[in-house]
Amino acid sequence: MNDQDILSRFEELEAGHILGDLDPDEIKEFEMLSLDPRCQSDLSLELTASALEAEFLKDKDPDLPKKLLERLRKGMEEFVVDEPEDGAVVRPVAWQRLLVAPQTGWAMAALLAIFFVAKSFVEEPLVARPALVVNTPEAARETLVAKAGDLIESKFGGTERYSQMSGTVIWSDELQEGYMSLTNLPANDPNANQYQLWIVDPARDEKPVDGGVFDISTNDGTVIIPISNPLAVTNPQAFVITLEQPGGVVVSKQEVVVALAKSS
Amino acid sequence: MGNCIAKYSPLVWSIAKRHVQDHSAAEDIVQETFTDLWKSAKRYDPAIASESTFIGLLSRRRAIDFARKESRRPQLEPMPEAESLPYAAIESSPPLRCDSSDVRAALKELPEETQKIFSLHFDEGMTHPEIVEKTGLPLGTVKTRLRRGLIDLRNRLSRLDNAQPFSPASP
Repeated sequence: MNDQDILSRFEELEAGHILGDLDPDEIKEFEMLSLDPRCQSDLSLELTASALEAEFLKDKDPDLPKKLLERLRKGMEEFVVDEPEDGAVVRPVAWQRLLVAPQTGWAMAALLAIFFVAKSFVEEPLVARPALVVNTPEAARETLVAKAGDLIESKFGGTERYSQMSGTVIWSDELQEGYMSLTNLPANDPNANQYQLWIVDPARDEKPVDGGVFDISTNDGTVIIPISNPLAVTNPQAFVITLEQPGGVVVSKQEVVVALAKSS
Repeated sequence: MGNCIAKYSPLVWSIAKRHVQDHSAAEDIVQETFTDLWKSAKRYDPAIASESTFIGLLSRRRAIDFARKESRRPQLEPMPEAESLPYAAIESSPPLRCDSSDVRAALKELPEETQKIFSLHFDEGMTHPEIVEKTGLPLGTVKTRLRRGLIDLRNRLSRLDNAQPFSPASP
C-alpha cells in the first residue's frame, strides 16, 4: 500500500473506532497503524459523530427527571464560590486556579484562557462570567491547607540532573485541588521547553494524568505552582515532573524526568 | 452555569439514555458529564466546535465508556476512557462547522442510503444488527457506509470554513 492507501485505511478504521464497530482483527490493525507517524489523527471525526448525535437528539423530549435536575444544580454549587464583598457574584473554582497563577507563562496562559473563554460567553455563555479576583498561589495554597480535610503531602526528589531541587506537593481528592512548592528548580525557556506535571492514579487509568504545564522563571528560591488537572483524580499515588516541548504533550515519553514525589 | 444546565441537560440525558439502559446509571453519567464540563469549560474553544457538539462529545464518551465497563455491548470495540479526553487534541483539532444548519445541509448532500442508515443509527439509536434486520443490507455494507459516511460528512463540515472543494471518502 502507498502512503495514501495507508492514510485512507487508517481513516476508515478510526471511523469504525469512533462508531464502535471494529472487529478484533481491525482493532489490531488500527492499533498498529496508530503507531505509524504518517497516521496522525485529531478529534474531527469524533466531533462529527457527536454533532450528528446532538443534531438528531436535540428536538426529542427526553423527559428529564426533576430529581436529576436538582442533583445537577447542587453539583454545580461545588464549582462556584461566593464573593462576600458583593454577595451576588459567583466565581468558578477553575477560574480561581487560573487567577492564582504566578507571573510569567502561567499568567499569560491564564489571561489567554480568560480571553478565549470570555469570548465564548458573548451570546450563549457556558457558565456565568466570573468576577476577576486576584489571589496569590501562596494564599490559595494556605487556604487549601486550612480547609481540606483529606490533604496528602509528598516530597519531591529530583533526578540526577535535577538533584539540587526539592519540594513538596499537596493534594485534596475531595476538592480536586493541589499545589507544588518547588525550590531550586532551574528556570526554563518557554520557547524551548516547559515543565509538565503528571499525576499517577492507577485506580482510574494506567496512564498518568496531565497536571498542567508550567514555567520556572528564576533559578533561585521557592515557587508555588497550582496543579491544573482537567481530569478528575481520585487516588494519586505519585506526582512526576517532566520537561516537554512548549505547550506540553498529551502522552509523555518521559525522556526528561525532572522529579518524582510518591504518596506515602 | 444554571443556564447551561437548563439548555444542555436534556441533550446529555438523551445521549446517556441512548447508550445506557439503566436509569440510575444514566443519571450518574449526566452528573459526571456536567462535572467534566465545569472542570474543562476553560478549555472549550468555540472556534473548533459548537457548545452542543463539545458537550455531546463529553457525554458520549462517558456513556460509551460506562457501557463498555458494564459489558453491555461486548461486541463493540471500546472508546477511549471518558476521563482521558485528550484536551490537547481538541485544542489542536481543525475547526469544524457543526451548527445545526451546517450539519443538516451537509447531511442532505450525502447519498440517500447513507442518510437513511445515519438516521437509523443516530436518530433511532439502532445497533448495527438492528439496521441489518431493518434494511436487509449485509453487516459489512452497513459498517462501511456508516464509516465512510462519517468521514464524508466530516470532510464537508471542515471544508465549509475555507470553501474548498469537497473530498468525499474513497468509494
